[in-house]
Order: sequence, then structure tokens, then C-alpha cells
Amino acid sequence: MRRFGGRKLRLLVSLGVVAVAIAAMTQASSAAPFQALQVKYAIFTDCKGAFAFGYELDIGGANAALSEFAGARPKNKKKPSAGLIGGTAGGAKLTSVGYACGDDTPATILKEIRRLMVQKDADVMIGPLSGDEAVATANWAKNNPQKTVIIGTAGSQDPTMQIAPKNLLRYHGDGAQWNAGIGEIVYKKWGWRNAAIIMDDYSFGWTSAAGIIADFCAIGGKITKRVFPPLNTTDYSAYVRQLPAPDKVDGYFWVVGGTGTDPAFKAFEQAYGRLKAKQHSGNLFLWFLTGVAVAPRLKDAYIGGFGTGPGLKTAQAAAYEKSMKKWYPDLPATDAFVYNYYNAAHALVEGLKASKGRVGAALQAALPRTLRTGYSVSNGGLVKLDSRRQAIADQYPMQITNIGGKPGVKIAGYVPAVDQTFGGTFSPSKPAPGRNFPPCVKKKLPWQGKIQVVTNGKITNQFVK
Amino acid sequence: MRKLDAKTLTERLIGVGVLVFAVLAPQIVNGYWLDTIFTQTLLLGIGAASLIFLSAYGGMISLAQTGLMGVAGYALGNMVSQRGLLGESKGLALGWDPTLSLVLAIVITTAAGLLFGAVASRSFGIYFLMLTLTFGVIANLFVGSVTKLGGFSPIAGIDRRTPGFIGDVLNDRQRLYYIALIAAVVAYVAIRYVARTPFGISLQGIRDEPVRMSSLGYTVPLHRMLAFTFAAFLAGVAGVLAAWWDGQISPSSLGLNATIELLVIAVIGGLVRIEGAWLGAFAFIVIENEVTNRIPSEGLPVVGGSFNTVVGLIFLAIVIVSPDGLMGIWERLWGLGRLREPQRPAPTASPAGSES
Amino acid sequence: MPPGPRGNRLSSSCSLKVARRLGTFARLVRERVRSWGVVGAVPRLAAVGLVVFAILYVLFISTPPDEAGGGNWRTTNFGSAVHDPDSFLRVLLDALTFAGLLFIVASGFSLIFGLMRVVNMAHGSFYLLGGYIAYEVQQEMNPEGLGYSLQPFQVNTWEWVLPLLVTVGSIALFGLGVQQLLLRWNQGQDLRQALITIAVSVIVADQVIAHFPRHVVAGSPKFGGNAVSIAWPGWTNRFVDLKLFGIEYSLARFSMLALGVFVGIALWLWLYRTKTGMVIRAGVDDRQMTSALGINIQKVFAIAFIVGAGLAGFGAVVGTSQGNIAQLQDGTWLLYSLVVVIVGGMGSLLGAVAGSLLYGLVFMFSASYLPTIGNDCCTQYSIVFTFALLALVLAFRPQGLFGRAA
Repeated sequence: MRRFGGRKLRLLVSLGVVAVAIAAMTQASSAAPFQALQVKYAIFTDCKGAFAFGYELDIGGANAALSEFAGARPKNKKKPSAGLIGGTAGGAKLTSVGYACGDDTPATILKEIRRLMVQKDADVMIGPLSGDEAVATANWAKNNPQKTVIIGTAGSQDPTMQIAPKNLLRYHGDGAQWNAGIGEIVYKKWGWRNAAIIMDDYSFGWTSAAGIIADFCAIGGKITKRVFPPLNTTDYSAYVRQLPAPDKVDGYFWVVGGTGTDPAFKAFEQAYGRLKAKQHSGNLFLWFLTGVAVAPRLKDAYIGGFGTGPGLKTAQAAAYEKSMKKWYPDLPATDAFVYNYYNAAHALVEGLKASKGRVGAALQAALPRTLRTGYSVSNGGLVKLDSRRQAIADQYPMQITNIGGKPGVKIAGYVPAVDQTFGGTFSPSKPAPGRNFPPCVKKKLPWQGKIQVVTNGKITNQFVK
Repeated sequence: MRKLDAKTLTERLIGVGVLVFAVLAPQIVNGYWLDTIFTQTLLLGIGAASLIFLSAYGGMISLAQTGLMGVAGYALGNMVSQRGLLGESKGLALGWDPTLSLVLAIVITTAAGLLFGAVASRSFGIYFLMLTLTFGVIANLFVGSVTKLGGFSPIAGIDRRTPGFIGDVLNDRQRLYYIALIAAVVAYVAIRYVARTPFGISLQGIRDEPVRMSSLGYTVPLHRMLAFTFAAFLAGVAGVLAAWWDGQISPSSLGLNATIELLVIAVIGGLVRIEGAWLGAFAFIVIENEVTNRIPSEGLPVVGGSFNTVVGLIFLAIVIVSPDGLMGIWERLWGLGRLREPQRPAPTASPAGSES
Repeated sequence: MPPGPRGNRLSSSCSLKVARRLGTFARLVRERVRSWGVVGAVPRLAAVGLVVFAILYVLFISTPPDEAGGGNWRTTNFGSAVHDPDSFLRVLLDALTFAGLLFIVASGFSLIFGLMRVVNMAHGSFYLLGGYIAYEVQQEMNPEGLGYSLQPFQVNTWEWVLPLLVTVGSIALFGLGVQQLLLRWNQGQDLRQALITIAVSVIVADQVIAHFPRHVVAGSPKFGGNAVSIAWPGWTNRFVDLKLFGIEYSLARFSMLALGVFVGIALWLWLYRTKTGMVIRAGVDDRQMTSALGINIQKVFAIAFIVGAGLAGFGAVVGTSQGNIAQLQDGTWLLYSLVVVIVGGMGSLLGAVAGSLLYGLVFMFSASYLPTIGNDCCTQYSIVFTFALLALVLAFRPQGLFGRAA
């Protein structure tokens, strides 16, 4: 054997050092030494992908609620992600272990779950933000019953209908619930009798469209054509051509979001000419997020809501908005991301008070089954959870309008207490919303004929006719 | 017995040491490290090993390995999950027997590799890289758009229905670790064995001199196709393990990000030696873990951006400084002043005849 | 030939020439088929058969859906070309106009490879950066946009052309920077350069997401890679009456095609009628010889990279006007470029044209003319046809349709 030269010796020594270092690293546990009762939570949001702008909004909403109800204080009122000082609930100290940075894909959220919920051992998750992330989270939650998940703002139906683990709660409506009432409104106010619908070919597209279809068909409308462009298509001309021409149909429902709203509308205009008013409706994407590109073209269009009531003039709404303004004056309180995360954090605080600071199954049992939220009116202003821990919430279909020279939305109607089964359309034993489900059938929905007109933010006693 | 030189001896010692450590790891490291870092290293290492096998012995850099891993995961997920039973609601949910599903998943992946290989086997060098990248992206778009197979939502519950001999990997993460360890060792041994068979030797000949081999009567496209198929088999094993580890599969598991991640792992480890696969996987996962925990929420200081920028910079640095990755550095440390077996040269020049 | 009346002799000589040409062609085909052998011929003839069937399906066989909404394997959205020539022509025009955009982006990719053997994997991220730059410039010129994407009537021609010039210029410079810094010193090492450009693409895509868009609606953060778009000039927002089956087609889409043709002609003129172009073509053919002849090959490489990157920027402006720009589109456009040049052949202008046309046709027709049996089938399988196109071309010509033989 050759004599080991200096280089080889140094090499072996450095290898040995590396080995020891690895061994040391792997020993390091990340759990803090046990002190007084402590509850670790993590806020799950997106900082990349389609909903990247939701980062500060989500954190801000949650932090504001923790400040309002758990005695915390923002470190920086202009930057929610700077964090909080203090915060106790039920005698336990609330500690944030960090923010998850998702990108709207399940794979990334699982990585973040491993980082925050396993490595950093958080007890509670407030989030996630998007539909498919929530499906992945619900599947994970089912395998990890000792952790608690309070959904942030996810519109997928599965987490609380098909999967429905006991440790997952959602205090807002899903994508279908958000669209309650819009079908009936366009049927009555614009006289639509047959319509075509174009939706993103994935679960949120189907879920959101399902709410529109169920509502529109229930009152007697007919969906004559369904078109399914793949998500994030670049050239929508092929799909827009599959829609019937404007003279062959009363109207179009648009459930195209992600990055597709603007190109889809451009393709439509290039195929059929300028958009005719009162011929286009759709879901929240026509206003929200990237759809703001489209809103200027759709003045006075009725569109599905987002579970919030911007401009609603009730005492509760005013109290909520005042609370948001107190803690983070720059954040838009009426934004659904802010609102839903606020309610989720609020629920957490109430739950901890009831469970006296304990987490796990005790917390899951103690989390409130009714919650006073800013934009609730029915049921004494309380959101109620159903047997699968899903909210039965009031919904507010919107209308695009001009606010101070810029496109904005105002509330067009008030639909009380919409549940996730959508009046019996969905159930765990029925198929999930898909290309063909729900079918277009006429039926009686609980809120049919009971949508109240909202003028200037005030809910009137008139029904939409 | 041939006298062993210092380098091989050192390598064997280190290898034994690593193996011993790996077997004892559950007693030494904590749960998070075992499950997230080590198990992931092992299974990603198998995927990277399939890539490095092709590049080191076949001269083909394939970016389709991640796609094939995803195909295996999707096949397994669609066959094994059952609608409604435990809340899974996506995909075909055939509910077949887990052992059969496991076998079929690997068979399907190998068949897909055969198909891709048949189409790509007459392309060399850069063309091959581009073609396999295209395959990977098409696989990603396929599983995303064919909503019957799951679409964009994750197919879950894969870890709840495992074959009997695999056992419960959902709750017993140590078991999954040992299964991954055994699979990794078997994969390593298999690759080393195949490289010494006549097929492997002729493959290396084709890597170096395809024109000469062709004139000697070897069917070059057939050899490359078979090599690609073997690599697809390995990727299938890795994909199945990944599906069990994650419990879920979604299109982003085969997306461009994941593809580049596997390439980065292979390059960090070194495209010339199989051991680089696991070395690169370990280095990458540890770096990712440490960096993502430390990036401030508003992005990296000064430049902004996220972990991807860090990965890109590390990748760039490695390709510029040491294209043979960490194993290349190791080789170079031993290289000066001694006779050694001619090793596969660094991928600095395409094999003769690859340009067209 | 027997003497006869003059007219007869001429016509018979013409027909004989044609017949002779046909005969030669038929003989060539027969020889080629025979060279495949039985084993080789079966899959190839099957492939040809499938292609012919697909064309016939679109043209004649398919039927429109009936009132009840049911269908069989023949039902498509529009029915056959014979039944509904209106829709067929529209889809054909969609394909051609989309091919125009594909060509602009893919030609840059092909040019860089053809000359320098560099597979510029960062081409997609050049596109991404270019799209956002164009958006920022147009928003800067049009403050009433307020961060909302503008509508065509708010934009005049200069407000579209200036973003184009700025984008092409900046991306061209950026590409030059990348080439000089990272690719100049390792020429000849194809795989290493491919890995370098992959690294660049990852970094650039991440940085773009971190810093764009900057003109946003009040209250939105200035990052995230959200989708934004720019508008065509107002005068494109009208229809052109084609006087064919009463079709009116969008002038904006025709502009896309016109720009593609313009780029094609400009490239052709540059490559075939200027001295630099001649040097580039010589470099494509034989790099070492060209260098040995004393030509400053480094300067030529730099110029080619500038043009190639600039084309990515050009394509980005057109693509962002037609649709939008958002994160993840770098991957999409890299895929499109790859498919076009794999099909058409690398380093060949004609190949880029052929590849764009073929891919555009497959893209549009598979989205529209696949069977629609109920709602669950089959347009979601359109991606399979992209793969089939690749497989078919590579089975017959591994170097692409107009690529150089291996």
C-alpha cells in the first residue's frame, strides 16, 4: 500500500470532519425546550405562482385577528410579514414558526408542510391558500390527526366534502358556494334562458362552474354548451370558437382564471367582435386577480362573488373593517384573502380559549362551530359549520361598476346561508364537480326566489325579480 | 488478487462506512432527518442514478427521468386508490390489488421508456437532451390535461395501500427508509453489474465511437433504446418509492422544476460516476433544507428571488468550475501523479458523430 | 415521335414529360419502400395511413353534434370541412396565424443552434423577460392604464412600436451579455453550454417573478409574476372581410401572421443577401474552415446571438399582445421552440417555417377537431398529438424535416 501523502491525509481528515458535522446536524432537534404552555402555528400562503400577491394579504388578515383577539401587536403596521409581538389565547403563548411559501402546486405545499409542520413541529396550520393545495393538505391532515388545519382561502370542494378529515375546518364557502345566486340574477334581470359556459379544465374551474350551472339551471335556464380549455392555455382561439356565436345564445358564463382570463376574452373579441354588455357573466375572476384586466370591458356585468361583501353597510362589517384598519391600515379589508385568514385566526383564538390552550384533539373539539364574521348577516350574523366542518355562509353576487373613475365591484344581491351541498346538488356520495357534473336540471334551491336586492350596500327587503 | 491502489481502497472503505452508517441511521438521527433528508436522498438518488447511468455509460443526458418517475407514480396512484373509501376523489381510482399495481406501474414505466427510447434512439448529444426534455414536458402536460387520470389535483392515499411485503409505510417511516435503502443498494449493484456485461461494454463503446461500433455490426439505436429502457425501469422504481414517500402525486412532480432539480442533483454529484447520484441528492436536499429555512420572506437580500435563484447560481458555479461535480473533484484530488484507469472523460465534447 | 400535326405533337410531348416525371417519382418511392423491407415498411406505412386518415377525418368523415348532445367517434365540434367550411377555414387561419408567432420565437432558437451549436435553454426566459419589459414600457407611456391592461382603443401604433423596439433591444443586449460572459469561453462543449443555459433560465425566471410586474393596480405588490398583457394598436381591432364563405377574420391575428412573414423575409434577406449572412451560413456549414479563412468568427457568433435573443423579445411582444405574459410561460415557450426545431430541423430557416406550420396545424386542429363524445372526451388528449407529431417526424427523419443529415 502506498504511503499516504499529505494530500490524501488532509482529504481523509476533511472527510472525517464532514462526517462528524453531518452527525451533529442530524442530532439537532428543532423543538424549543419546554416552557409554559405554547401553541406553535404556521401561516400557509403563496409567494409564487398565480396567487403570489396574496402573501402579505393572508398574513395581514391572520395577524390582525390575532392582534384583535389574542392581544398581539404587529411589529410593522405596513408589513404584515414582519410578524407579531406577543399573543396568548387560553393561557398558551402563540408562537409563529414561519410562513409557508407555496406556488399553487400540491408538491410545493407538501414540502412546506414537511418544513413547518414536521421539522418545526407546528401544531396548527392556518391556510393554505389555493384549491389544489387544500386537497393535498386535507389528504395529509387525514394521516396526521394530532395537527389542526384551519383553511385559509381555498375554493376546492373535496377537503370538506369527500375527504373531510376531523382535524380540518373551513370557515368560508367553497368555489361553488361563492357563485350562489348569480345564475338566478342573470336569468331574471337580463332574461337569459340559454347560455354557454367556458371553464378551466381542472377542479377549481369545475367547482366554480358547478355553482353557476346548478343555480342557473335550477330556475329554468339551459346550458347549451360546455367548453373546457386546459388550464393556462396560451391561445384560446380554438376553444372560443367552440362557443356558440353571440346571436345563437343569450349569454356566456366565463370561469377562466389563472392566467387565462385576459387572453380568453381577447380571443373572444377577435372571433366575435366587441363584447356586448349583458351577454357576459362569470365568476370572481372577471374582477379579481388577473381579471382586473378584463373588468373595464365588462361594465355593469353581474359576476359571482368571493364570499365577501365589499361596501356592505352593517354594524358587524363596520366593526371588522375598523379592526383591520387599526392593525394594518394599508391592507384592503374587503379582500377575501384578508377576510378569510382573519376569520380563520379568530376561530383559532376562540378554540384555544375553549380548550384552555391545549392542542390536538382537544382543540379540534373546541374550535367554534359558529363564528361572528364581518360579512355575515343571517343566523344572527354568525357563520355556522356543518357536520363536515364546512361553513354555511352568506354569499354576495357582485356587479362590476365604476368607483371613482376606476373599475370596481359593488354588491348586487344577498343570498342567505348557502351550504356546501348547494341545496342537495352535491354530497359525498355523489360525484365531485366535473365536466359533466352537475347536470342541468330544474329544481328548487333553498334560496331560489329569496335573493335580496342590495342597494348601496344596504340589504333591502325586495327580492330579485 | 490484484493489488488495490490507494484510491480504490479509500473508496471502498468510505463505501462500507456509509453503508454501516445508513443501516444504523434510525438509531443515530432524529425522525425528521431520517424521513425527510435520508429517505428522500435514497429515492432521488435512484432517479439521479438512472440519469447518470445513461450519461456515464451511454453518453446520453436524459431529461425524461423525472417524467418517467412521475409516470410510475401516476400509474400506481390511479390503480391503487379507491374512490370514497378514505376520501380520495381524484383519478381513475381503480382500487386494484397493491402488489399487482406495483408491478404494473413499473412495467408501464418501462414500456413508456421503451417507447420514448425508440423515438429518441437515433438522436445524439444535444438533440437527445432536447428530445428528452420535450418528452418530460409532454408527460407533465398529459397528466395535467387528461383529467380522468387526476388532472391538477393530487392523487392521494398511495401510501395507504401498499403491497403486503412492503407493509405500512405511512406510519412506520423507518420501514420506508429501509425499503428505500435496499432499493438503492440493489439499484447501485444492478447498474455496476450491467456496466460489466457485454451489453454494458458495447454501450460504452457506442458512447465513445458510435460510428465505429456501427461499422462493426452493432445496432446502435437498439443498444441505446435498451439502455434507455433500463434507465426507465430504475426511474420507475424511484417513482414508486417517491409516491409512497409523499403519499400523493400531482403534475408538478414531473414539471420543469422537478426535471431541472434532478439534473442539478446529477450534475452536483457528477455525471461520470454512479456514486455521484446519492452524493448529489444528499448535498442538494441538505442545501435546500437549510436555505429555505433562512430565506427572508421578501426574498433573498439584494437580488430578491427565492431558493430557485440559489439553486441556479450553485448549478452555474458547478458547471463552470467543475463540470464533473463533486465526484469530479474527488477524481481530480486523486488524479495527480499516479497511473489510473482511463475514466470516462468529462462531458466537454460530444461523442464523435453527434453533430449533424 | 411520329410526325403529326404541330398541336398534337406539343401536347403529346407535354403529357409525356409529365408522365415521365411521375414515373420517375413512382420509381423512387418504390425503391425507398423496398429498402425498408417488410419489417420496416409496416410501421411506416401504418404511420402514413394514420396521417392520411386524420386528414380525411377532418376534411370529410367527421360529423357535427346532434341536438341531443350525444355522439360517436365521428362527432366533432364543427363537423367536417365539407359540411362546415366556415369553421374549418377559421381554424385553419387560426393555425396559420399562430404559426406566425411560433416562427418568430423558434427562428431565434434555431439560428443560435445552427451557427453556434448552443441549445439556448434560456430562450423561454428571454421571452418571459421580454414580455414584462414590453408591459412596463407600454404602461409607462399610458399612465391612464393604472396597472390595468390596456384595451386596443387606448393604444396607438407608436405605443406599440416603442415597447417593441425597447424590448427587442434590451433582450438582444441581455442575450449578448449572457453569451459573452458564459458561453464564449467554452465553445465546442455543447452539453456544458446546454447546462449553463439551463442554469441561466432558472435564475432569470426566478428573478423576473421576483421583480415584475411593476406597474400594478394600487395596493397590489410589485412582484409575483402575475399575468399582464399589452394591447395591439387600436386599428387592428377590426375584422377583415375575406369574401369567402362570408368569413370575417380578426385583423389582429392577421398582424401576427404578417409579422411572422416579415421576420421570415427579413431573416432570409439577411442570411442570403448580405455579407454577414453569408458568413453565418458558412459558419453553419463549416465553423473551423470559416475561422481558418481569417473571418472573425467571434464577432459573427455575437451577432447571431444578438439576433436570436432579439427574436425571442420580438416574439414576446407579439405573444403578449395576443394573449398575455405570466410566470411559467417561459417553460411553455421553450417547449414550443423545441418542438418546432425538432420537427423542422435545427439551423434551417426553412425548417423553422415548416416546423411552425406543422405544429400550428396540429395544435389548433387537435384542439378543435378531436371527437366530442359527450363532454368527457376527447379534446383533453390534444397533447398526445404533439407527441405523435414528434414521433412521426423523428421516425422518418431523425434530424428533422430540413435538418442536416447526421
